[in-house]
Amino acid sequence: MQNDSKVPLLAVEDISVSYGQVKAVKQASLAVFPGEIVVLIGANGAGKTTLLETILGINTPISGSIRFMGKDITGNPADRNVRAGLCLAPEGRGVFASMSVLDNLLLGAHHNMRNVGKNLRRVYDWFPILEQRKDQIARTLSGGERQMLAIGRALMSAPRLVMVDEPSLGLAPIVVNDIFNILSMLNREGYTMLLSEQNAYKALQCAHRGYVLGTGSVSLSGTAQQLLNDPGVREAYLGA
Amino acid sequence: MQVLIAQIINGLSLGSIYVLLVTGFNLLLLVAMIIHFSYPQVVVFSMYITWVVLQLTGNNVLLGVLAGVGSSILLNLISAPLFQKVMKNRGEVDINSTMVLSLAMGMIITDVLSHSFNRGLPIAFPDQISQSTPVLRIGLITILSGQVWSLGVGVVAVTGFFLLLYKTRAGRAFRAIAEDPSGARLVGIPLLKTGLESYALTGVLGGIIALLLATLLGSASPGLGEQVALKVLAVSIIAGLGHLAGGLVVGLLLGILEAVAQGYISGTWSNVIAFVVMLGVILMKPSGLFGTKL
Repeated sequence: MQNDSKVPLLAVEDISVSYGQVKAVKQASLAVFPGEIVVLIGANGAGKTTLLETILGINTPISGSIRFMGKDITGNPADRNVRAGLCLAPEGRGVFASMSVLDNLLLGAHHNMRNVGKNLRRVYDWFPILEQRKDQIARTLSGGERQMLAIGRALMSAPRLVMVDEPSLGLAPIVVNDIFNILSMLNREGYTMLLSEQNAYKALQCAHRGYVLGTGSVSLSGTAQQLLNDPGVREAYLGA
Repeated sequence: MQVLIAQIINGLSLGSIYVLLVTGFNLLLLVAMIIHFSYPQVVVFSMYITWVVLQLTGNNVLLGVLAGVGSSILLNLISAPLFQKVMKNRGEVDINSTMVLSLAMGMIITDVLSHSFNRGLPIAFPDQISQSTPVLRIGLITILSGQVWSLGVGVVAVTGFFLLLYKTRAGRAFRAIAEDPSGARLVGIPLLKTGLESYALTGVLGGIIALLLATLLGSASPGLGEQVALKVLAVSIIAGLGHLAGGLVVGLLLGILEAVAQGYISGTWSNVIAFVVMLGVILMKPSGLFGTKL
């Protein structure tokens, strides 16, 4: 376990991503070690979602490399990366709104149908509300429940790294607390996580380390405590 | 009352054929991103192949059915690379280009059928397929064994197809892509491969529909595909383009409407009546009864 934590589970090196003429991510590097919660902090439009989607394989970087579990996965398609143990919970609206909660969860297990019963049981144990609502259409869920569904669906693939995009987006403060408690709990259960957040204060309280993303490139990184105490971060993201 | 019951039974068999055609069309539209207007022409082509094999084998039904289903799958395999080329460039290429491809396929099939089979004359299926033994006679109404067969097979096929769509892993992936292709990519569903799977599935389905049509109509002509294609397009638009459950309801209703019109008014007017009713519906609800998914 000690040795394990020296080798990053995910290592992103100098990747750049562009949409046509616009460079959305510029030479960003980051690493996630087993057992960690790492948070990407940045304002709206800083490139957080693009970076996460590129790691998953939705976008192909124009330069740089991505290594996952020691293997180069740069340019691999998303379905192959999901099978290899990557997953991304999109922001809460990213569930299939016209499908049932159960169908959404089963879609998460698309490449992992063998243990579907066991995984479903575990997700229901962590999110009892999803079991109560399993036959409901996802559109009828509250914002917090949808976020839980997005996270639960990601866990159905039995991932080695769980990426969660903006877990607090559009949620009431009390629900945000619930979501971060759940993320911390999942981390204690053994899940390694990479989050993206605008809500820097909450996210840094929950995370071990963080990276600050400003218009596409990493401007600062450090332990969560360092970032919480950094005057620049305090001014730009914590409103202090 | 007897006429009504008999025509409703007829209508349900015709309706289940429409349902299968519309669902196949919708699936191609939403999952494979192909506008396949000529899907019914492909089905009619399979009917012809079934007929040819029946002629050659002295009415061996099993071989005929296998040949029909096989030709539908084969035609799909041949045309898949063409569509695949278009699908690969999805996002860059307009979905309309698949429509041109499909229309061309339909015209070629119709022309080949009218030049090369039975000198362009309508074909008639032997009794082993069309099954015109009366099983029930009430007053003026006769129910033929072929009608019972096509109703039975139609109901089983529709049920099986919808169970596949709503209860299996592949069906879930189809519906996920139909709802949100980029969301489907996020959960790791490969778009191209799943699109091709849906295309293969409609090939199998086409063979089954061909058999059902042969049983129900007992004959086919080169123009049959175009006629049916118009109705399938109308049904899918009236239900709401791409709405699977809507297609089920409207397909069955159209079948019943046509059959009842045939029973009470005149067979030759049933198309007119069907299209007038559909015209009325589309004027009241331009986006379809169930709302479009596109």
